[in-house]
This record gives sequence, C-alpha cells and structure tokens, in this order.
Amino acid sequence: MDRDDATGPIVQIRRRVKAGAEQIFDLWTKPDLMARWMSPFPGTVDCKANCDLRPGGTFSLVMSSEESSREVSGTYVQIDRPRKLVFTWIGPLTNNVNTLVTLELHPRGDETELVLTHERLPTTAICEGHTRGWGNILDHLADAVVKEF
Amino acid sequence: MIEIEARKGAASRTARLDAVFAALADPTRRAIIERLSRSDARVTEVAEPFQMSLNAVSKHIRVLEASGVVERHRQGRDHILSINTRSLDEVDGWIVRTRRYWEERLDAMERLLRELKKGHKLGPKDRKHGSR
Repeated sequence: MDRDDATGPIVQIRRRVKAGAEQIFDLWTKPDLMARWMSPFPGTVDCKANCDLRPGGTFSLVMSSEESSREVSGTYVQIDRPRKLVFTWIGPLTNNVNTLVTLELHPRGDETELVLTHERLPTTAICEGHTRGWGNILDHLADAVVKEF
Repeated sequence: MIEIEARKGAASRTARLDAVFAALADPTRRAIIERLSRSDARVTEVAEPFQMSLNAVSKHIRVLEASGVVERHRQGRDHILSINTRSLDEVDGWIVRTRRYWEERLDAMERLLRELKKGHKLGPKDRKHGSR
C-alpha cells in the first residue's frame, strides 16, 4: 500500500486544458453546460442542473437513467470568476456526507492549468452542519478559506 | 428492512472513515503510523523520536486507537502497538474512488470542450448536431 496516499483526506488533480479559464468556469457554473458533462452514469437519459451562483446559494444535479435517479448537490462557498470556485458537495460518491471541492484555474497562454481539490470536511464541521443547518458550516468554511489564502 | 440495514452499514462506515481521517489529519499521528508501518513497537519506542513528553505522545496514540488505526496488545508488562491496515485500506478506497470519479468527469469536460470548439467553427446552424 502506498503510505503517502493514505495520509490525508485530500484528492488533488492537476490538468492542462486547451481552453480559456472563462470557458472552463462556465462549464462548471452554467446549468445547461453542467448537464452535458457532469453526469457519471453511462445510462443517463436525462440530466438536470440548477444553480444559484452566489456564496451560500445552492446547486443540484439530478441524473436519471431508465432504472434510477441520483442527485448530487451542494452550496457555493466562494465564487471568483474565472479563477476560483469553492463549493460543498454531497452525493452517492461521498456516501452522502458533506465534502468540499475547490476548482482553481490558472491561465497558461492559450491553455489553462486546472487544479481540482476534493476533501472531506472535519467531522465536527459535518456534525454542526447536520444539527444546526448551513449557517455554521459556511462560517467554518469561510474561516478555513481565509486562513489558507 | 434490508435497505435500512444497508443504510446503517453505510452510516457506520462513514463514521469510521471520518474518525480515521481525523486521526490522520495530524503530522505527529502520521509519523506514529509511519513508524508502526515498519514494525510493531512499544509505546516508549514510538515516543522516542518526538520532542514531546511521553504523556503528549500517549494522547496521540489514544486518538489513533479510538479511530481503529492503531491496536494495542499486551505482552507481559509491555504494551505493543500495531497498525490495523484494514482501516487504512478504507481510506485508500475513498481516495481511489474519488480520483477515478474526477478523472472521468474531467475527460468528459474536455470532450465537451472539443465538441463546443468544433461547433463554433461550423457555425451556429450546425452546432445542434454536435451536442446531445
């Protein structure tokens, strides 16, 4: 087993993408575009996306196949078009617990370096989120974001 | 009934995973795990390289035990610590699943970007054919 990979709850992916940061940002935040690539289920016949793009606003993706339907949703924490997007993420992949996704876009000439970070939230933040609603968890996240940058 | 049991199973798995992640969030605890990944060891042996009191190291060890990452056995008067690799395998599972998920999504995103670029060159009339 690779010990380095087992030391933290963070998954980070870097990729050079042949597109401008604005266009990539739109793919992540415009419902009609989100619906065209975000569904992970091969049999998806219908994917509906909704988003209220403002800090504290929510988004959802409902993906339906012939047999079933699944939903992914979250809340926007930070929106800085076209450089950075931070949102919570809850869905089947995360066993329906809250996680945090950070998308960073760095322009590199005609291309963009995309850095995607997906992390589990501290247990205490998850508990607070469940018992006291979204206010607390967002305060907590805002603090974390400010501290980091 | 089966569904409720399955959900309970998933919930306790999630709670367990959260405890493991919390345990791994600290550099001292990660260093302890690294030490124990080489071989089982006594508490005093584990504490030796750290610039902190035995008591402080013991606290970290207790967090690791509570999360299930570290187990303690008695051998006569010694307490021997060892790693429960199964708990770490679960962490690996989450990381592998999540990485695979996003790699696939980003592939799909890049396919759509190419599709949009092609559609743009063809002009607005033909764009509809390029999309689903």
